[in-house]
Amino acid sequence: MLTTQPHLRVRRPSPTTVEYTISTSPTLTLPLRLLLVTTIILRLLVGFSILLLLYSKYLLSNFAPDSSTRGLPPAAFLSYDYIAYVLGQIHTSRAGVLSTRLATLTPYSLLLPLSFLVLHILLRRPHTTESLLVLRGLGIQTSTSSASYLSSATTRFIPTEKVQDILVNEAFRGFEVRYYLVVVVEGEEEVVVVFPRLLPRRVIVEKVWRGVRGCLWEKGKEDRVVSGGKG
Amino acid sequence: MPYNIAMVSDFFFPQPGGVESHMYQLSTKLIDRGHKVIVITHAYEGRTGVRYLTNGLKVYHVPFLIIYRASTFPTVFSFLPIFRNIVIREEIEIVHGHGSLSSFCIEAILHARTMGIRTVFTDHSLFGFADAGSILTNKLLKFALSDVDHVICVSHTCKENTVLRASLDPLMVSVIPNAVVAENFRPLSHPAYSDTAILPQHLGPHDTITIVVISRLFYNKGTDLLVAAIPRILASHPNVRFIIAGSGPKAIDLEQMLERNVLQDRVEMLGPVRHEEVRDVMVRGHIYLHPSLTEAFGTVIVEAASCGLYVVCTQVGGIPEVLPAHMTVFAKPEEDDLVAATGRAIAALRANKVRTEKFHDQVKMMYSWTDVAERTERVYDGISGALSEADFYGYEAADAASWSATRGRAGVQSFALIDRLKRYYGCGIWAGKLFCLCVVIDYLLFLMLEFWAPRDAIDIARSWPKKLREEKVAGDGSSFPK
Repeated sequence: MLTTQPHLRVRRPSPTTVEYTISTSPTLTLPLRLLLVTTIILRLLVGFSILLLLYSKYLLSNFAPDSSTRGLPPAAFLSYDYIAYVLGQIHTSRAGVLSTRLATLTPYSLLLPLSFLVLHILLRRPHTTESLLVLRGLGIQTSTSSASYLSSATTRFIPTEKVQDILVNEAFRGFEVRYYLVVVVEGEEEVVVVFPRLLPRRVIVEKVWRGVRGCLWEKGKEDRVVSGGKG
Repeated sequence: MPYNIAMVSDFFFPQPGGVESHMYQLSTKLIDRGHKVIVITHAYEGRTGVRYLTNGLKVYHVPFLIIYRASTFPTVFSFLPIFRNIVIREEIEIVHGHGSLSSFCIEAILHARTMGIRTVFTDHSLFGFADAGSILTNKLLKFALSDVDHVICVSHTCKENTVLRASLDPLMVSVIPNAVVAENFRPLSHPAYSDTAILPQHLGPHDTITIVVISRLFYNKGTDLLVAAIPRILASHPNVRFIIAGSGPKAIDLEQMLERNVLQDRVEMLGPVRHEEVRDVMVRGHIYLHPSLTEAFGTVIVEAASCGLYVVCTQVGGIPEVLPAHMTVFAKPEEDDLVAATGRAIAALRANKVRTEKFHDQVKMMYSWTDVAERTERVYDGISGALSEADFYGYEAADAASWSATRGRAGVQSFALIDRLKRYYGCGIWAGKLFCLCVVIDYLLFLMLEFWAPRDAIDIARSWPKKLREEKVAGDGSSFPK
């Protein structure tokens, strides 16, 4: 429900610029926004409870510091002592007691892998967005959103004079044959695959291919490139 | 009626060989006739992914494990997902497998029938019946051919062999020979090279006669026979030279023989030659010697005759069917007779009894790939029901309507699972049950794939623009940068 089939959005801020975005995110309506906010809250809740569980387990271990220092909150806000005080407060709260009991019941071998797996899943972005920005006279920029919230999107800019050709190719991927868009970069062994994670379907790939060729090379030049196209 | 055809075999270019060039030539000619043809083979080193060859022939080099002499590991089911994907995206109607030792081909025929696609199998080789390997291969072939729409063999001997090995109905086996591209095998004196009229070449009694041997140096190609015969031929005929081209495990035997008899100056070993160089080697000689022990067709002797060489060959397999008697001297596959036959050929050439300069035009009349493609197309028409049963199988077969219990009323093989199981069940007491199990599993896998990888999620590939319908391509307004 939160994701759809990869679909194409074209943005054309100026006649010489065009951006093709392929995304699995559906158009945001109010219920969908609410649903997204709910999932984020849910993620935060689950994430913090797991962190608490891990902290309880840590306190139960031999490495835990002596928990005798307890009393009034230190004056300096956000100092080390203050954080230790807050953690102590959480530890002695009802949720803390519950998680301590749970931590005593679960062994390390089960707790650690499971909690890291769940944290990993929680940090994953729900949508994948990949885009291709074409600026005539400058070059093209590909961008791919990262899988988790911890890292940012990877982008790559290829100047026009480095772009030898842009073409649609077919290749084996797993148990199927897929169409994909590649940029042949001058002086590089490997070609650059556009939209590498989503690998949209043929109709989209062809549309982007035509658009990019039309935008990147002017009309007169385009004929030369098409006739001299290689593959 | 144009068809979408997939040629499937383990053996394809860049590897040299008869099956490979047969598939390539047949495919290009079928494309010329308006069909769409793709080739499915495994990945070779430096040749992977999806490729296009001349004339828009698309080749899928499927990444698979290779075990022995370019054959892939037989895994029965693992080929199904990728095969189904290719078949759907290319909208294939007929699957045409080549070569009985190719596990790709056998698996493809099984999967194609499961998917409800017509299948044709072309057999290029002969097999024995006695040794353990042959028995196993024959059982496998029986499995593959239990449920195939039609079988093509390259010679009548090959047909006999295949019918016996796979217990087929002879009516569903056609004979379509190989062919040669005669333009690639012209003799030196051909008018294409010189304007002078063709003069019959006259050989004096002391002129040197060159004997050419081009073959892969394997046991089944008769290299042992060659090793035994060469010293005796050279001893009895002083003005004779040999040129041997090819490589293989028996090359070392040949070299040892040369050193033992000190024949290096009279026998030239060229090593492996590429297929396009074969003609240049052939035209250097007068006689072509072909000592093979088993051969389904023997394209190379047609090539040799087309180059204007007198052919000496062993009378095995399909070889006697290939060339008319005035072009060949036959020998029994034994040392003495091979030496005697070569002697006869040398004598006939010295006496100028053989008009070798006419061979090229005669061969050109006999063999052409266009003809092969036409006949193959007729097989496609027959199995898809475009041609009536009476036309395709003969009127007697049509009258005896019950000659195959599982054959449907339209004269084509039924796709119903129960009918297919009936055909497989008859393969043997244990084998029949095992084969039925395989077919049922294959069918279940197919149903699962229909669920996991639905058809409408697979992109239909664009076809190569056809030559004849240019206006349609122009109206389409698109051309691929291929």
